[in-house]
Amino acid sequence: MSATEAPVSPARLLPPPLTEEDAARSEDRSRVHLARGHRRRWYLLWLLVGPGILAMIGENDGPSMIAYAADGAEYGLGFFVPFIPILFAMAYVCQEMCMRVGAVTHRGYGELVLQRYGKVWGWFGAGDLTITNLVTLVAEFISIRIGLAYFHLGPGVAVALGLALVVFTLSGGRYWRWERIVLGLALFNGLFLLAAILVKPHVGTIVHSLGFSPFPGGNFNTLLLLLASTIGATVTPWMIFFQQSASADKGMTPRDIGHGRYDTAAGAVLGAIFGLGALICGAALLTHGGATIQGFTPGAGFPQALERVAGGFVGTLFALGLVEAGAVAILTISASTAYAAGECVGASHSFNSSPRNATLFYAANIGVAVLAATVILIPGAPLLSIALNANVLATVLLPVSLVLLVMLANDRDLMGRWANRRSTNVIAIAVIAFVGVCGATYGIDSFLRAAHLIGT
Amino acid sequence: MRPTTPPNHVTPASPAIREEDLQAEERFEDELIMHLERDQFVAETSRPVPRAQLSRGATAGLWALRVFVIIVSLMVIYAFIAQLG
Repeated sequence: MSATEAPVSPARLLPPPLTEEDAARSEDRSRVHLARGHRRRWYLLWLLVGPGILAMIGENDGPSMIAYAADGAEYGLGFFVPFIPILFAMAYVCQEMCMRVGAVTHRGYGELVLQRYGKVWGWFGAGDLTITNLVTLVAEFISIRIGLAYFHLGPGVAVALGLALVVFTLSGGRYWRWERIVLGLALFNGLFLLAAILVKPHVGTIVHSLGFSPFPGGNFNTLLLLLASTIGATVTPWMIFFQQSASADKGMTPRDIGHGRYDTAAGAVLGAIFGLGALICGAALLTHGGATIQGFTPGAGFPQALERVAGGFVGTLFALGLVEAGAVAILTISASTAYAAGECVGASHSFNSSPRNATLFYAANIGVAVLAATVILIPGAPLLSIALNANVLATVLLPVSLVLLVMLANDRDLMGRWANRRSTNVIAIAVIAFVGVCGATYGIDSFLRAAHLIGT
Repeated sequence: MRPTTPPNHVTPASPAIREEDLQAEERFEDELIMHLERDQFVAETSRPVPRAQLSRGATAGLWALRVFVIIVSLMVIYAFIAQLG
């Protein structure tokens, strides 16, 4: 990293002091070196996948899957079948930059912005992240609650399950252990695909909808809400913080960037397929009053509606999928908050550090989850509105984070030959403009309607 | 941050054993160190990167975007609160 290079002094030739975090990371890297040395390609891929898949599948969270199902229930398959993969392609462009910056600089997004562009931008970013993460985490607990309500289990169980998972995954004191547990859980996002297959969609309709038709009509604000929440369901600030920090914590280096790209692409493909699964499930309800389903109402949401249309097994799969989606997102979003807290304060921020050495990191990880869990236990809390607006708020706040990410990825002092190419910049700027316009249009339209300045 | 504990770390009973332990400790640390790039070490990543010099245009652009995003966020929050009413 040329920005930190100093004239070589004799002291610089000595290896730096080894910490427990270094030792744990080195142990993981030794397996990568062995696999690379012995040309064990699949094993090497297995060792290096993680942050990309977790970011993408983590974003296939409860509110996202309900947003996709709501898209299908309200408008059918048309338009959204090609739109969701396009959004994941956009997410790939952003997340690949995060992975690359993390692998080259070995630093998280929060600390790089803070150090490179100043405290104001660093703290603004951390503030955006904290607000959107807290709101989204509340929505994740609601998602678990909706899923468990199908099995007649109450909100207390949802809170206990979510918090127990956070504590359990943190208990090992190793990044590798945490990553593998969450990856294992993320596999169950495939339940949405299984549910979609079981609702027996008409293949011809899916193929026909690849032509972006029919374009959704109806209420303009509702359409904007769905577009903004669908975008917010695919690219969010927490993903940027998470993947860059996780890539650094995993110990990725510029030599691993190729595998990091495979990891991110695999996450995007799986995320798109599973997201389409939720969309297809929702579309099965289109002619069965789908538009009237309150996706965030425990006991009267998509699992119950699917049970009536496609049978109890499909309803069960969708309910379990919501529990999984909420649980994985709680783990990844709490982790992104913890990384950001540690990076901005300058404290230790690694799963490879013990709680004694990284107290703030562990406290933020658990604390933000506890705070969100508390909200869903408050009687009469506006859970439905919180969940609906979580993705929209993320979409609105995203452009600043993306602009700073593009600036970091173009910083030749930091990135050297790994800096963005012109083509990547063109696509990234188009993504920022698209996200910014959709978020802003929804925000302005909603405000004007709420203030009765235009008709509803 | 606490340095890592080497394997077979025992209280030395004699100078010969102490020498053996020290060598094992050094070998263990060398093996660990060789798997990491220099700028991956916590000691290195703890050093801040130098501040970038942003042009006036870039700074103004960032502030404009920031203000715009805050205004739109406030609009979304207003609409959210209005929904509750």
